[in-house]
Amino acid sequence: MPANPELKQKVEELLGQNQVLLFMKGTPEAPQCGFSMRVVGVLEQLGVEYGAVDVLPLLDPLREVTGELADWRTFPQLYVNGHLVGGCDIVEEMFESGELAEMTAAEQPARAQAGAPQTPADPQQSPPLQIENS
Amino acid sequence: MADLAEVKGMIEEALPGAEVEVVDETGSGDHLRATVRAPQFAGKSRIDQHRLVRAAVQPRMDDGSIHALSIKTDVFDPGG
Repeated sequence: MPANPELKQKVEELLGQNQVLLFMKGTPEAPQCGFSMRVVGVLEQLGVEYGAVDVLPLLDPLREVTGELADWRTFPQLYVNGHLVGGCDIVEEMFESGELAEMTAAEQPARAQAGAPQTPADPQQSPPLQIENS
Repeated sequence: MADLAEVKGMIEEALPGAEVEVVDETGSGDHLRATVRAPQFAGKSRIDQHRLVRAAVQPRMDDGSIHALSIKTDVFDPGG
């Protein structure tokens, strides 16, 4: 099934507006999936500003959109500068190696350890973005 | 439930010369972890490396025999 063109355009706009954009299940405050929670944990440790989109309200339509844009249909998905970096496995691996810090121009924490206890909610974090069903 | 040997073979066929390990992560036979070191990964981003592995096993994802596949990739360097 082809992606909804309006939704696809909305996603492209968000990708243009957010240097770091996470498509996740749930919100950073209340992740609904362990993999999404782990990616949020990495971003919090990096301390980068990021946008987060909860995919659950529009899960299947968004799968079609990311399938067309990035050939990837599972969530979470982290995008940097409009390009798909990966899901949980890749994000954690690139965090530990320092590649993610480099890519997002963040400072690598002294002890980069995926799955480490999460620091309290970061005030830099932008509020969850809403994609409305039209 | 996936046949681990078949899945391993599908990846090896798609990426000749690769070192492939496929393990059953949960004992249920449908949550697999593939560790792949392939010469074809050189110069590719992680996501592109994962795309190659996923594409190789896509038929078993589509038919539901693999429910979740965790992938770990590395560039295979015969000299290193």
